[in-house]
Amino acid sequence: MEQPIVQLQQVTKRIGKKTIINNLTLDLPLGEVFGFLGPNGSGKTTTIRMMVGLMAMTSGEIKIDGHSIRTEYQQAIRNVGAIVENPEMYKYLTGYQNLVHFARMIEGVTAERIQEVIALVGLEARIHDKVRTYSLGMRQRLGVAQAILHRPKLLILDEPTNGLDPAGIRELRDYLRQLSKEEGIAVFVSSHLLSEMELMCDRVAIIQNGKLIDVRTIKQEGHDALSNVNMLFEVDKPAEAIAVAAELGKDAFKEGDGIVLEANRDFVAAFNAKLVAEGVLVYGIRVQIKSLEDQFLEVTGGERIV
Amino acid sequence: MFNFWKLVQNENMKIYRRPRTYVMLGIMFALMAAISIITYFVNDAHDASSWNMLYNEASIMFMLITVFTIVIASGSVADEFTSGTIKLLLIRPWTRSKILLSKYVAVLLYALGMVIAMLLFGFILNMVLFGYQDATASEVISPLVTGSIIAYMFQFSVLKYISLVVTTTLAFMLATVFRSGALAIGLSLFLILGVNTFVMLLATLDYKWIDYLLFIHLDLTQYLDHNPMREGMTLGFSFLVLAVYYAIFVGLAWYVFKKRDVAA
Repeated sequence: MEQPIVQLQQVTKRIGKKTIINNLTLDLPLGEVFGFLGPNGSGKTTTIRMMVGLMAMTSGEIKIDGHSIRTEYQQAIRNVGAIVENPEMYKYLTGYQNLVHFARMIEGVTAERIQEVIALVGLEARIHDKVRTYSLGMRQRLGVAQAILHRPKLLILDEPTNGLDPAGIRELRDYLRQLSKEEGIAVFVSSHLLSEMELMCDRVAIIQNGKLIDVRTIKQEGHDALSNVNMLFEVDKPAEAIAVAAELGKDAFKEGDGIVLEANRDFVAAFNAKLVAEGVLVYGIRVQIKSLEDQFLEVTGGERIV
Repeated sequence: MFNFWKLVQNENMKIYRRPRTYVMLGIMFALMAAISIITYFVNDAHDASSWNMLYNEASIMFMLITVFTIVIASGSVADEFTSGTIKLLLIRPWTRSKILLSKYVAVLLYALGMVIAMLLFGFILNMVLFGYQDATASEVISPLVTGSIIAYMFQFSVLKYISLVVTTTLAFMLATVFRSGALAIGLSLFLILGVNTFVMLLATLDYKWIDYLLFIHLDLTQYLDHNPMREGMTLGFSFLVLAVYYAIFVGLAWYVFKKRDVAA
C-alpha cells in the first residue's frame, strides 16, 4: 500500500495535568475525504493545531508525506493547506491582497493560479473589495481559496460548513469530493455536524475526550430488493402486530408508536397484507436507516461533555 | 532559500495598506507645518534661523515618531494574534524566526522612513519659509559643539534613531510576549515617556545601579552636546548598556514566539 499522507503516531497532548489528546494513532491515505467527528471540546481543533505545527505535542509523532512536523517542519507543511477554526483574514486588505499575501509565502504560486482559485471558489465579483465587507460565507470561500492556492496534497478544514448557506454547503461538498477523487488529495474535515459528515466523507473517525473511539467507513451504496433492512411499521396496536410477526416467524420489537423488524421487499408486502387482514391499522411503512447520528450517539454513549 | 524579501513585502503591505499609517504621517506633517507657520507670523522680522527651527521640530518629532513606531510595532505582532490571522501566517513553509524577523525588519524600515520623511519635510518647509542660511552647529545648538550644522543634524538623527530602535524593540518584545497591542503600547509608552519625565531626578541620585538603567541611556544626544546626564558616563558605555538591553529584548521576543503554542 501507498504511504499514507498523514500519520499520527501515539500523539498525546497534556496541558498542565489535563490530558487533551490521549495516544491518538491515525493514518490518512490520499484520495479520501476523511471526517473527524467529535462533540465540542473533544480535542478536534487541538489535534488539527498539532498537525499544522501551531501546537507542540507532549509526546508522539505526526508525519505529513513522510516528513516529521517536529523536525522537518518546512518540508511537511509545504504539502498542507488549512483553515484552523474560523477563516480569519486581514480585514483591512481586499480579498485579492489577502491571496497575494499568502501566495508570496510559497514558491510557485503564479498570478494565473490566483485567478484560477478565485474562479473556483466563485469570488470573482467581490475579490477586490475589502474583506471587512464580506459575509461569513464569503470569508469561508476566501479561506478555502488560500488553503488550496499552492495545490497541497493535504487539505485540512476545521468546521468548513460554518456559516455557509445550504447551496454553499452543497457546493463545498461537491468540490471537496472532486478534489479528492480527481486530484487525489486527502481532505481532512472536522465537524460536529453528523449529517454533514455523512454526506461529505468516505471515512469518519470519532473522537471523544481526546481518545479515538472508532473509525468507520460510510456506505454510499443503496439497498437492493433482496437484502434485509430494518423496516418500521407505524401501527395502532403494536403488541398485536408483534404477535402477527411472530406467527410469520419474525422477531419484531416495539419502537415508539410502531414496530421494527428485519425484512426484504417481498416480506414487507406480505406482512402488510396480513396485518390488515388481522385488523391492525397500518399508518406508515418506512426503511429505518441507522444514521451516523445514531451510530455516533451509540459509540459515544450519548454522553454529555459539558 | 526562497526570497525572504517577500515576507518583508507582506509585512509592508500590512503596514501601508492601512489608513492609520497615513493619518500618522499627516499628523506629523501638520504639526511641523503648524510650528513653522506660527513662528513665521509671530516673528515679524521673519529672521528666525531655519536650522534652529528644524532642530527644534526634529527634537519634538522624534518623540512623536517613537509613539507611532511603538503603535506600529505592537500592532505588527499583537494584531495577528487578536485577529487570529497568526494561524494562517505560521502554517507556511517558513520558520517562526524568519516570520518574526520579517515583521521586525518592516517595523524598523517604517521608523527609518518616518525619520527621513520628517527631516526632508522639515528641511524643505523651513528653507521655504525662512531661507537657507549657512550656519555652524555652535551658532545653532550650543557653544559646546563644533562643526557644520548639517553634520550635527546627521549625527543627531543617527543617535536618535538608535534610541528609537531600542524603544521599538522593547514594544515589539512586549507585544510578542503579551499578544495584546493595548498592553504593549501602554506599557512601552509609560516606560519611555513616563519614566523619561523623572529620569532627570533619578540621574541626580548617587547610586551605582542607576548607571545601568535603560532610561539613563535612551537619549544618546547628551554626548553630542557634551552634556552627559551622569558624571563620567561615555558614549561607549551607553552603547554597551543599550546593547545588553537590546539583546535581552530580542532574545525574549524570539524565544517566546518560537516556543509558544498558538491557540488564539
